Amino acid sequence: MFKMSNEIETSLLIIVLDVNPVQRIIKQETRILTQCLDSTIVFANAHLMQSSNNQLAVIACHSDGAKFLYPCEKPVEIRQIDGQYEKFTMVERTVRQQLQQVINEISLDKPLNGESLISGALTMALCYVARLEREKIAGEKIYSRILVITASNDSATQYMNYMNIFFTAQKMGIILDVCSLDQELTLLQQGCDITGGNYLKVPQLSGLLQYLLWIFLPDPNVRSKLVLPPPVKVDYRAACFCHQELIDIGYVCSICLSIFCKFSPICTTCHTVFKMPGPIPIKMKKKKKTIDIVH
Amino acid sequence: MSNTISGKNLLRPTGLQCKNLQEYLKSRPPEVLNKLYHNPPICLAVFRELPVIAKHYVMRLLFVEQPVPQAVIASWCSKLHFEEHQKVVLILNELNVWKEASIPGGLPGWILNTTFKKNLKIVLLGGGKPWTMSNQLEIDSKPRDVAFLDSYALERWECVLHYMVGSQQQEGISADAVRILLHAGLMKRDEADGSPVITQAGFQFLLLETALQVWYFILQYLDTIEARGLDLVECLTFLFQLNFSTLGKDYSTEGMSEGLLTFLQHLREFGLVYQRKRKAGRFYPTRLALNIATGQNKPLSRDPEKEGYIVVETNYRVYAYTNSNLQVALLGLFCEMLYRFPNLVVSILTRDSVRQALKSGITAAQIVGYLQQHAHSKMIEAGPPILPPTIVDQIKLWENERNRFIFSEGVLYSQFLSQTDFEVLRDHALSTGVLIWQSERKRTMVVTKAGHDDVKKFWKRYSKGSS
Repeated sequence: MFKMSNEIETSLLIIVLDVNPVQRIIKQETRILTQCLDSTIVFANAHLMQSSNNQLAVIACHSDGAKFLYPCEKPVEIRQIDGQYEKFTMVERTVRQQLQQVINEISLDKPLNGESLISGALTMALCYVARLEREKIAGEKIYSRILVITASNDSATQYMNYMNIFFTAQKMGIILDVCSLDQELTLLQQGCDITGGNYLKVPQLSGLLQYLLWIFLPDPNVRSKLVLPPPVKVDYRAACFCHQELIDIGYVCSICLSIFCKFSPICTTCHTVFKMPGPIPIKMKKKKKTIDIVH
Repeated sequence: MSNTISGKNLLRPTGLQCKNLQEYLKSRPPEVLNKLYHNPPICLAVFRELPVIAKHYVMRLLFVEQPVPQAVIASWCSKLHFEEHQKVVLILNELNVWKEASIPGGLPGWILNTTFKKNLKIVLLGGGKPWTMSNQLEIDSKPRDVAFLDSYALERWECVLHYMVGSQQQEGISADAVRILLHAGLMKRDEADGSPVITQAGFQFLLLETALQVWYFILQYLDTIEARGLDLVECLTFLFQLNFSTLGKDYSTEGMSEGLLTFLQHLREFGLVYQRKRKAGRFYPTRLALNIATGQNKPLSRDPEKEGYIVVETNYRVYAYTNSNLQVALLGLFCEMLYRFPNLVVSILTRDSVRQALKSGITAAQIVGYLQQHAHSKMIEAGPPILPPTIVDQIKLWENERNRFIFSEGVLYSQFLSQTDFEVLRDHALSTGVLIWQSERKRTMVVTKAGHDDVKKFWKRYSKGSS
């Protein structure tokens, strides 16, 4: 008759929005950033619309840093002006206001860097989830996921950070979804695969909202019931620690598992000293070993 | 020759039926439904109560302007969950959220109800007219905080509950509220002096969680709303605006119709809204009004007032950290009280005490539900399961003890003049599958009530033919 349980299920969505002004598609057509923002806000509200227990956080990141847009420390006082649900109006206004601040704060003195600090924003998201987990009331269950919306390239310079984030997320049971607007992102794709999230490179930017609603709106536990695009084959190449380039075959430190594209006698990560590789010493060792066993 | 045995039995508890929003709306005529969909808050409430897959369908169709082939929509759901898809289709049809439309190729398709779509878009994206209560207000000179509103709402609501159990602890409630309680069958007029006394259903009502109580009460109130000369659509819309308002914020009563203001006063009495004065021009919604229709997905309750207070141990002892007479009285429905201290009541669950409760129509599920719902946070932390499984099982076993009879309504045939008469009639009843019980020795048989007419006709024909 009645479902009686003390369990409260909360679904938390954290959106990481890349607002770096030097992204290729934004440089070509500045309007695109506004369009992406509109779609993102509608998508965020659509998430809140699903259930009264759903929660939302939005983080913006650019080349110099990342900042929470929503929830905001000092919420704005609003009255409805039209038929929109109060809470949605609040999300929309807060995100727009805060984003304006973020963009104004980008300093123009330094040359702009094309690489966004997505890993920084992801770390903030993980910390936020950890805090909510700590503060939750007895009997509450939080299902968290992170959605990255970006048009910049994932560079291998953040390789280590990414890998740490992916495995932490996996351990915390957080799902990472990635929506790429411009190019295939091999590194973040690995993250989706590791944490069980969806990856999509949007084929047509004009349909961004519809793609978001289709693929990224359903909760992970509902996704299995729906038909979503099949997962693409993930490129699992690692980036070397010396030049941050993706490589197929390389050298791995036997102590700390750091990856190098060229042999170096000292591991730069853990400072282990390796012997020079050569065919003769190996043979000698083998001989010695067999003798040892005989004795 | 035939006697009707009433199958309406006394033992079987009549469960309190509390409809959820969906069932309530389905039972409304389609015209009313369409009128309701003209209001954005109702569309949002309906959307939230849809099954998850239905929500997904609606979201994907929200920005599509033409009908979509049914086969295409079916392909959105995985084949393994086809049954769920069919259920969802049924619900969306029944609620009139979408309707069938043919596509230029002749294929059957679905298109979202235009009114519903338009208003759901307004909720999500903006546009349209503002909600009635959102007029600009000057800043309240004495703003009320969330804690105050919570304690106010609780106090008002407990007033109703106290009245039901007849405790003299609190002030009385208005005649209107009493009328609703009587209408809902939660109380009835005492035969001796005409004063209202609590019914079986009333006890079951007391064991529900507060949110469900409020919703049940409001449903009953809505039933009587037209008799009061209020407009159902207007009141429902207002109710859902409250549902989606923000706790601790004040709203304006400006521009509200006379009917709505009356409605507001009723809500005020039950603690759903707070108003300092009747003509204050502003009101604060309380936690009771928020998330009123969310039957299944319970709202978050972080308020200390509602914190659990019951500890159940495997030795059947129940400790309740409370000094509220109401809560003690409720526990007393199915527990035997042992000791009472200023802040603690010790009681024990016994077979007798639980059977006493079962006899008065309370079900085992309700008892377990009540204990679970008010479990102390230490119990929740130790869980799951929150309650000791042995206790839960035992309460259920005690209930099953009482369910050894199956009752079926029927008509008794007896005093046959000859064995052949009896056998002919019995065989006929047996062949049509309406025989419930028969005894050859006593020449007695019982047929189902539905089969009675047919058997009677057959008997008349038979006795005419033989005589």
